[in-house]
Amino acid sequence: MASATPLSAVNPPSSPSQAPAEKPSAPPVNILPSQLAKVYSYVHPVLLLTLCAARFQALVQDTVQELLRDLPWLALLQISYVVLCLPPAGSTQAIEAGSDGEEKKKAAPRSPSSPAVALRPGKPGYRRKQHTGKHDWSGAWAKLMPAFLSLTLTSLLATPILAVLLVLFGAPLTTHNPETVLCAAHMALLSATALVYVHGVDGYVWKEVWGIARPVDPVWGSALGTGLGAWFGAIPIPLDWDRPWQAFPITILVGAYIGYALGSLISRTPLLYGKRIQFVPTETEETEKKTN
Amino acid sequence: MASAGSGGGSVPPSGGSRNPRGPDQSGKTKAPGFQDAKALELEGEFKTRHIGVLGVLAWVLFLHAAGIYFFTKGFLLTRMVLEDKSSCEVLPFDDGVAAMPTGKGCWHEKSFDKAVVIIIDALRYDFTVPFVPWTESEEATLFHDNIPVLYETAVNNPANAFLLPFIADPPTTTLQRLKGLTTGTLPTFIDAGSNFAGTAIDEDNLVAQLHKAGKTLVQLGDDTWQALFPGYFHENLTHPFDSFNVWDLHTVDNGVNEYLFPLLQPENRSKWDVIFGHYLGVDHAGHRYGPNHAAMAAKLQQMDKVIRDIIAALDDDTLLVVMGDHGMDIKGDHGGESDDEVEAALWMYSKRGIFGRTSKDTLLPPKHARERPVPQIDLVPTLSLLLGMPIPFNNLGSPIEEAFAGASGNDWSNLVAVNRLTSAQIKRYQREYAKVRGAGDDEESFALWSAADQEFKTASKSFKSRSTAVRASYDLYRKYQRQTLDICRGLWARFDVPSMIEGVALLLSGILLLVLYARGMNVDRTELTPQLLSFAGIGAGSGAAAGASLALTGVTEMTLIDLSVLLAAAGSMIGAFFSMLKKSANLSVPLPNGMWGWLAVFFTVSQSIGFASNSYTIWEDEILHFFLTTFGVCAGISSMRQKQTTDRVLGVYHSVLFVILGRVASFSRLCREEQMPFCRSTYYASSTSSISAPWQLAIPFLVTLFLPSVVRSFYVGSKSYEGAATLWIGFAFRLGLFITSLFWMLEGADDGEWLPLRKETLKSVRTFLAQLVLALAFGAGTGAYFYSKPCVSVSVSTAQEDPNAPPAPIIAGQQQQPRKTVTILGFGNLYGTRFFFLVINFALAIILMQKPMGQGAIALLLWQILSLLEILDTNALTLSNSSIGPVVLGLLGSFYFFKTGHQAVLSTIQWETAFIPLSTIKYPWSPLLVVLNTFGAQILAALAVPLTVLWKRPLQTHDRTTPGSNKLANPSTKLLSDVIQAVCTHILYLATINLATTMWAGHLRRHLMLYRIFSPRFMMGATLLGVIDVVLMVFAVAGVRWSTTSVGEIFGW
Repeated sequence: MASATPLSAVNPPSSPSQAPAEKPSAPPVNILPSQLAKVYSYVHPVLLLTLCAARFQALVQDTVQELLRDLPWLALLQISYVVLCLPPAGSTQAIEAGSDGEEKKKAAPRSPSSPAVALRPGKPGYRRKQHTGKHDWSGAWAKLMPAFLSLTLTSLLATPILAVLLVLFGAPLTTHNPETVLCAAHMALLSATALVYVHGVDGYVWKEVWGIARPVDPVWGSALGTGLGAWFGAIPIPLDWDRPWQAFPITILVGAYIGYALGSLISRTPLLYGKRIQFVPTETEETEKKTN
Repeated sequence: MASAGSGGGSVPPSGGSRNPRGPDQSGKTKAPGFQDAKALELEGEFKTRHIGVLGVLAWVLFLHAAGIYFFTKGFLLTRMVLEDKSSCEVLPFDDGVAAMPTGKGCWHEKSFDKAVVIIIDALRYDFTVPFVPWTESEEATLFHDNIPVLYETAVNNPANAFLLPFIADPPTTTLQRLKGLTTGTLPTFIDAGSNFAGTAIDEDNLVAQLHKAGKTLVQLGDDTWQALFPGYFHENLTHPFDSFNVWDLHTVDNGVNEYLFPLLQPENRSKWDVIFGHYLGVDHAGHRYGPNHAAMAAKLQQMDKVIRDIIAALDDDTLLVVMGDHGMDIKGDHGGESDDEVEAALWMYSKRGIFGRTSKDTLLPPKHARERPVPQIDLVPTLSLLLGMPIPFNNLGSPIEEAFAGASGNDWSNLVAVNRLTSAQIKRYQREYAKVRGAGDDEESFALWSAADQEFKTASKSFKSRSTAVRASYDLYRKYQRQTLDICRGLWARFDVPSMIEGVALLLSGILLLVLYARGMNVDRTELTPQLLSFAGIGAGSGAAAGASLALTGVTEMTLIDLSVLLAAAGSMIGAFFSMLKKSANLSVPLPNGMWGWLAVFFTVSQSIGFASNSYTIWEDEILHFFLTTFGVCAGISSMRQKQTTDRVLGVYHSVLFVILGRVASFSRLCREEQMPFCRSTYYASSTSSISAPWQLAIPFLVTLFLPSVVRSFYVGSKSYEGAATLWIGFAFRLGLFITSLFWMLEGADDGEWLPLRKETLKSVRTFLAQLVLALAFGAGTGAYFYSKPCVSVSVSTAQEDPNAPPAPIIAGQQQQPRKTVTILGFGNLYGTRFFFLVINFALAIILMQKPMGQGAIALLLWQILSLLEILDTNALTLSNSSIGPVVLGLLGSFYFFKTGHQAVLSTIQWETAFIPLSTIKYPWSPLLVVLNTFGAQILAALAVPLTVLWKRPLQTHDRTTPGSNKLANPSTKLLSDVIQAVCTHILYLATINLATTMWAGHLRRHLMLYRIFSPRFMMGATLLGVIDVVLMVFAVAGVRWSTTSVGEIFGW
C-alpha cells in the first residue's frame, strides 16, 4: 500500500488496485488409480524407512561412504516410485489423476482454460503423442523423460539449494562439507524428485511451493514432511548423551526420511487432502510447524 | 505495504483538506481557530498518556524486581567478607594477651621453617589407596594403584607421613577450592564484598600471612594463583602456566618440574621459604579422556615418580604436603557436589617423624573416602600452626589431629593448645560476623565453648585429673569447632525454599498480567492507564500496610520490609487484574491468531522448556541461530505469498538477507568450557588470549565504511534520507565510528607494542577518543534527538515539471493558474526514521564498548534489525500488532549477546571494558559501562522494539473535516497504545525466559551443574530483565514522545 495514501485518499485512482486476478492453482495430484500404483505407493515409504533402518549402523560408522553408497539406490527407488505411481508433468493424467472421483467434474472445465504447461515447449510432438499414445513405447518414453529430467534438476538445482539452506540453519561451513552436500542430495531426492516429475518447471506451481501454498497431496506432503522432519531432526544434536549417532547429518537425515514417509502417508487422508496451509487467518497448529 | 517508490507523496494544494501546512500558509503559520486549540489539546493528551504509560512500565519493573529479589534471597545465599586480619601480636583470646615474642612462631611454636605444598589438581582419594572392591564384581580400573607412594609411606613410616580423605566444599572448581584452601572458609556463590573487577582474595588468608611474615613464596604451575594472590610471590622464582588448555596434558607439569627440582637442591634452599606447586596433568587427563584411560594411568605414575623425587631431595626442616583440590566424576569432570568430585586426598610428609595417631584404629590410612575424612579447610589452621603463623581470621577449619599428636600419639597438651587457639579464633570471627550481620550467638555453641573452657581451666589448675580433663577439653573444643562449621554451612549453603517460591509466584503472576495486558486487551491501552495504575496503587498500598502490620504484630518471621514489599506486589497485581477484568467487553482471548503469533509463542515456550536441560543451556547460541533462521525462512515463505510484486520481491530479498546476516554473525564465537571440543573460539586472537588478532582491527574500519551506508540505504528506500538524516547518519555516525576505529587501533598498538610511545600517553589519548565518542553518542546525540525535525523534505513545483504527479484532474480554471504540487519526500516512513536516530545513538556507544569482533557483530545486528523491520512491513505485520516482531527482536538481542564474546557464565564478563573511557573505576559509570558492553546487543534490540509498530507507519491525524466531533479519535494515543503493546510483548518474552531459568535453577538446585550452568544462566536472565525493563522505560518508550511530537509539530496531530 502506498504510504502516500492518507494524503491522496480523496483520489480513488491512486489507491492501489487489487493484484491481478489470481490464476487458478494447479489441483492436488493424487496417486495413479491403477492397482499397482496404489499398492506401491504404500510400499514405497515403508521401503525407504526400511532402507534407513537397515543402513543405520553403517551410517553411524562411516557417514560419508554410506551416504554416497545409498545415493544411487535412493535415486532408483524414487524414480520407480514416480514412474509407477505418479502422473508425469504435462500429461492429462496429471489433471485426471488429481481429480478422480468426485473432483473429476470440477477439473474437467478447468483443463482447457489452464492447460497444463508443456514441459518442453520446443517439442510440440510431445503432447500430441501423449494424447494419442497407445503404444507402450511412447507411454514409457513419456514417463521416463520427465523422470530423467527430474533427476537432473534435483541434483543440479535442489541439492545446492538445500545444501545452502542446511548451512544457513547452522551446518558447519568450514568442515563436514561432504556430509552437508550428501545430506542435501538425499533430502533433494526425497523432496524434489516427485515435485519436478509431476509439475515440471511450471513457474506458478513453484511459486506456490516456495510459499508453502500448495494444496496437500502425496507429492507435496512428502516434500513438506522431508523439510519438517529434517528441522525436527536437528533437535537431539546438542544433547550430551555422547552417542555416535548425534553427529551432524545423521539425525537430520533420519528425520527427513521419517518426515517423508509420514508426510506421504498422512497427506492422503481425506482430512488433509487438498487443504492448504494458511498463514494469516485463524488457522492454527498446523501452520505453526511449517518451518524449514 | 509497499515501500519502494512510495516515499514521495504528491498532492495538489486544492486536493482536500488533509494537506499539511503547506507553503501556501507561509511555513509555520498556525492554522486558525479551533484547529489550533484542538491540536494543542491532542498534544497534551498524548503527553499525559505517555507519562501514564511510563508509570505502567515502572510498575512492571517493580514487580520483576520484587520477584527476582525474593527468589535470589532464597537461592543465592551470600556471605559477608570480613576485612579483619589476624596478627602475630594479638592472640585470639578475649583478654588479648600479647603473643610470645620469640622467633619460634607466632601463636604456637612452629614445627617447620619451610614447606613444599604440592597440589595435584583433581587427585581423587581412591587414586591413592590400594584398590578395595565395594562389591564382588567390582574390578580395579586403569586409575587404581598407580600412585602408591603416598599410601606406602603412610603405612611404613607412620611418624613421617599420613594420608587422609580430604573433602572439598562444592563448587569443586579450582578457583573456589584455592580460596577455601587458603582462607579456611566456606564458598558461596557470591561472596558479598569482593571487589569490583578482580578475583583477588580480600580475606585474610594463609598466603597473605606468610607474605606478611616476610617469607619468600614461590608459585609454580596453574596461573589461577596469580589471579587470587597478585604480588605475593617472588617474581623471579615464580613460574605460572596457563591453565586453560585442557587438551595439553604435559606443558604445565613439565614446567613445574623444570623449576621445582633446582629449588630443592641444597645450594638453592635458602632462596625460598614456601613453594606452592600446582600440577594440572591429572585434571586435564580427566577432562580429556576421563579417569579410566591409559593416559590417566601414565599421568598418575608420573606423579608418583615426582613425589618420590621430591622426597629424596627434601631436608629435615621442610614439610611436604601433597593434596588434590577436588576429585573428578566418572567422566573426569568436576564442579558439582557428587561424592567423586569432593573426595580428594591429603598427604603430609616430613623426614623428622613428628606425626602420630591417637588410637591404633587410625594407624592405617582409610580404605575408603567415607572413613575419617577431614574437610579441606582443616589444612589452613594445620599449616598455619605448623609454620608458626597466626590462623587466618575467617578460618572455620580444625587442626588435623595427626599433625599435632606427636610421634607417640599422646601429646594431649599440644592438641589442646592448638585446638584452644583455633576455637578462640573461630569464636572471635563469629563475634565479628554477628556484629556485621546483626545476629546473636548460637546458644549451643556457646555452651560448648564454656564447657571446653571450663575443662581447660581445670586441667591447668589441678594436676591430678590433668590427663582426663585435657582430653575432655580437647574433645569439647573439637565439638565446638565442628558445631560452628555446621552452623555456618547451614547458613551459607541452605536454600530458603519458601522465599524462592514467593519469588517464582510473583514472577509467574507478573507474566500472566503481561499476557493479559499485552495480548488480551482490545482497547486503547492508554485509556486504561489511569484506572489500572490507581487500582494497582490501591492494591499496593493496602498490601504494604497489611504487610507492615503483620510484621509488627510478629505473626511471621519475615522482616517488615520484605513482607511489605511482597504483599504490596501481590496486592497491586490483584488490583490490576481486577481493573482489567472488570469490563469483559475489553477482553479477548490472549491466544495467537495466525501463524506468526503461534511462531512467536513456539519460540518463547520451546526455548523456556529447553533451559531445563544443561545441553540446551550450553548451546543456547546455536539454538537461537536456528530459531532466527527458521524465522527468516518463514518470512521468506510468507513474502512469497504476498500479492503485490514489490512486497514479494522486497520481502524475499530482506528475508534472505536476514538469514545470511545471521549466519555471518554466527562465525563470531567465544566458546564456553562445556562446548569443547565442538566449538572453536574466534572472538579473540586465540582461545587462550583476550586480545584481538591484528586482522580483527580491520573490522572497525569496515564498519565505519559500510554501516552508515547500510543505514542510509534503508532511509533512501522510503526517500527519507532527508533533513537531519544526512548529517546524522552520513556525518556524525560515521565520524563516531571512525574515532572508535582509531581507539581500537591504538588499543591494538598498545597490546602489540607497535608504537614507540609511552603506555601512559597511549592510554590518555585512547581515553580521550572514547570519551569523545560517548559525548557524540549520548551528549550531542540526545540533544539532537530532542530538537531534530522529521526526515522529510518539502518542495513545491509546478505540475509539468513533476514527473511523479498523478494524471491531472480536470479542474475548472486550471488553464489560468499554473498548477502547484507539494512534494513531500520521506513521507512514507515519518515515525520510523525519526525514532531510529535513538537507535543509532546507542549503536554508536555500544559499538565503542565492544571488542573489534563484537563491533562487527553489532553492525550486523543493526543491519538485521533494519532488515527485520522491512520484513515486518512487507508482510503487513507492523499495523496488525503481531507479537512476532518484538519476540524476534528478543531472539536477536540474545543471539548477539553470544556473538559479542559473552556466554552465560560469569567468567566471560569483560570487566576491562570499564576502562575504555575511564582510567580508574568511577561509580556509577564503571558498572554502567560494563552493562553496556555485556548487554549491548539486547539493549539495542530493545530500543528497536517501538519500531516494530512505527516503521513505515502511515501518518494519521485527527479528522479535521468534522471538527470537535469525536474526542476519542486521537491517532497519537493509538500509536502509543501500539508501542506499549509491542514493548510489553518484548518484556513478556524476556520475562518468560527469566521465569524459566529461575524455575529450573530452583528446581535443579541439587543438580551437578548448578554452579556451572543453571545458576549463571539464572543470574544472567534476571539481570537482563531488569536492565531491559529500565532501558525500555527510560529510553525506548520515553523516546517515542519526542519522535511523535516532532512529527506532530510539522504535520499536525
